[in-house]
Amino acid sequence: MSADNTAAGSEPASVPYGVSAPPSRCQECGGADIGPDGYCETCGTRRPAAAAHSEVDLGGIAGVSDIGARHHHNEDAMGLAAGAGVTAGVVCDGVSASSRPDVAAIGAAAAATEAFAARLGRLAAVMAPAASDGASEADAAGGTSDVSRPGQVVRTASIATLLEAGAAAQAGAARAAGPEAVPNPPSTTFAAAVVTGTDIAVGWVGDSRVYWLPDPGTPGEPACLTVDDTLAGQLAAAGVVVAADSPNAGALIRWLGTDAYDVEPHTATLAPDGPGRVIVCSDGLYRYAAEPRQLAEVAPAGRPIEVASALVRFALDAGGHDNVTVVVMPFPPDPDESAIVSGAEVNGTGASDDP
Amino acid sequence: MTPDHDAIHLEVFQNEYLPAGADVVDAVITVTSSAGAGATAPPAAQVVMIDCSGSMDTPGSKMAAAKAATATAVDTLRDGVEFAVVAGRADARMVYPRVPELRVASPHTRAEAKLAVGELVAQGGTAIGTWLTLANELFARSRAEVRHAILLTDGRDQHETREQLTQRLRACEGRFVCDSRGIGNDWVADELRLVASTLLGTADGLEDVRELPAAFAAMTRAAMGKSFGDVSLRVWTPAGATVRFVKQVYPSVVDLTARRTRVSDRIGDYPTGAWGAESRDYHISVGVPPGGLGEELLAARVSLANGVGANAPVLAQALVLATWTDDTALATGINRRVAHYTGQAELAAAIQDGLAAREAGDLATATSKLGRAVQLAAESGHEDTATLLARVVDVVDARTGTVRLKQRVASVDAEIASVRSVKTIRLKKAES
Repeated sequence: MSADNTAAGSEPASVPYGVSAPPSRCQECGGADIGPDGYCETCGTRRPAAAAHSEVDLGGIAGVSDIGARHHHNEDAMGLAAGAGVTAGVVCDGVSASSRPDVAAIGAAAAATEAFAARLGRLAAVMAPAASDGASEADAAGGTSDVSRPGQVVRTASIATLLEAGAAAQAGAARAAGPEAVPNPPSTTFAAAVVTGTDIAVGWVGDSRVYWLPDPGTPGEPACLTVDDTLAGQLAAAGVVVAADSPNAGALIRWLGTDAYDVEPHTATLAPDGPGRVIVCSDGLYRYAAEPRQLAEVAPAGRPIEVASALVRFALDAGGHDNVTVVVMPFPPDPDESAIVSGAEVNGTGASDDP
Repeated sequence: MTPDHDAIHLEVFQNEYLPAGADVVDAVITVTSSAGAGATAPPAAQVVMIDCSGSMDTPGSKMAAAKAATATAVDTLRDGVEFAVVAGRADARMVYPRVPELRVASPHTRAEAKLAVGELVAQGGTAIGTWLTLANELFARSRAEVRHAILLTDGRDQHETREQLTQRLRACEGRFVCDSRGIGNDWVADELRLVASTLLGTADGLEDVRELPAAFAAMTRAAMGKSFGDVSLRVWTPAGATVRFVKQVYPSVVDLTARRTRVSDRIGDYPTGAWGAESRDYHISVGVPPGGLGEELLAARVSLANGVGANAPVLAQALVLATWTDDTALATGINRRVAHYTGQAELAAAIQDGLAAREAGDLATATSKLGRAVQLAAESGHEDTATLLARVVDVVDARTGTVRLKQRVASVDAEIASVRSVKTIRLKKAES
């Protein structure tokens, strides 16, 4: 009802996007020759889906993913898409108890990112008339009518986009298992955010998180917008405090993969009262700064790529026990299309050198 | 014209999960070709070698059967197939044509050939290496893709040494495929198995010479049905890995390990001969450097190549994987097919060792080996082999492998048991 002006024609074109890069060299022997079946032609080691270190910089938003200091492979994956005035980011953390978790994470992140890229244009089209309609409605009614309605339209569209991306991610994770049944099929978490000029919408399955860090001067406190799909996370949300080291406290109760049944992302929205940053991240980051206030303290000011790099560096300096992936998305998104680097700059390195 | 490559496919059966520290990866590869020659049959050539030693006349029915069988084989040839007939004695002579050449099958040449075969007389000795050498010279003049020979003998290869036979066989390796058959009571299973394994054909003994024409027709038909003349099993292994063995395990056990032709540092070709519409199983065992928990390795990339060497195109491919895990339930499972064929290979070895010990007078070893063979045949449901073994031993308890050697055994029964020892059966569907 609000997108009449644009919906009649062809679908808006895909917006620029980028995902974690595959390694260019074998992480075991350094061989550059990787067979089409994904195995090193020299030593036979399977090429992991994601490089040890990846950076995606779309200008307006950016992400960095790193293997960390202790892990053999980078089983995290990220994806980013940016249109004018609307951005989306996703982080997937392969479940290490499953087989080929890296493939599940990349499969889910890439599928979700492609879904975002295909739909952000339409979301931008929803936003524009909604904003103007809302303004005129509110003016006409002297500001007393339902002022939340235009925002509601955008929120609904954002949530719908998140759910579509979540469904695509589940399909991508399932594809990672291949045609045959395998024990412990590839599994991954999913955390994503869609940022518009009015709202932040988040969706998640598992224990990857989205944080809101308001800029100095913006009312409100730093907050975690997601609730971990773990025993501890669900009990904490219900007001029961569980020691972090309790047995099974961190066990996932929801994930994506062929053996998952409850795969629709939980969602939440926030309409901030001023500018700030949205941080989508894997537990490799927040294990060192779980409290929103702690995270705000270690997140420097700067361009999104600088912030993402600084947060990854922080996690590595703190021990880098796990893969760490951080996507940084300013609120509100830059409405200027020229802020978006089209033809995303994606850097992946195959070197597995620990930092 | 070449047959549709999609008509060949490979299937891998293995447990890719290994416990920490494990360094051996076993897999059974089933290769199935649905490419019958049909209208696209490649050019073919066939040479028949008939034993014409003096013993073929005692009884005379052997020579008569050999002539009839050769005539049937000639009649079974497709028009246009090149062929020749060779008489084998202590040396080899051309029967048809008279000169050492191949002739193109036609109603005319078939009639000529049958006439020449009818005039054969049994007189002289046996040196099958010389027969094969002449066949090899004949095939060398042909550009046929499918090169097939039939060798018939009724006696021991007594006019050459085993070394001479081995040497002459080696010169023929990879040049043509040879099926060999023994008739009468005096042929030697060891010799026929050596010919079969070197030249990638079949070996068998016939219990009744009247079966010979049908056997010759079947072998010729099978050769006419081949759509690939010279196929290699190509095995890529990663740096640091060793190929422990490569064996054909169905329809018979043929150890190909030593037959590797180097293609590159990591790739070797193993010969499999000619292929029609058929299915065979191969057991591949690769030693690998143990990986860390959760690591995944390509232990072998197995493909079928049309020919030998780097330029031979790949027809189909499959992957043999290794994944190290601390999940003992996963890592301790043995794939049923791998276990089955490990048993079938042991069965073949037990029969051969047992019969050799019996021949050498080592009755204790013979009893123990043949008892184990009876047990393995019973366990795997290999009824044909169980029946053959029962001609050589009295079975007291098949389940425990308790047997007594028979006092009197027709010599041909032991040879037939030996020549057929390499034949294997597949797992029944429900078990696989």
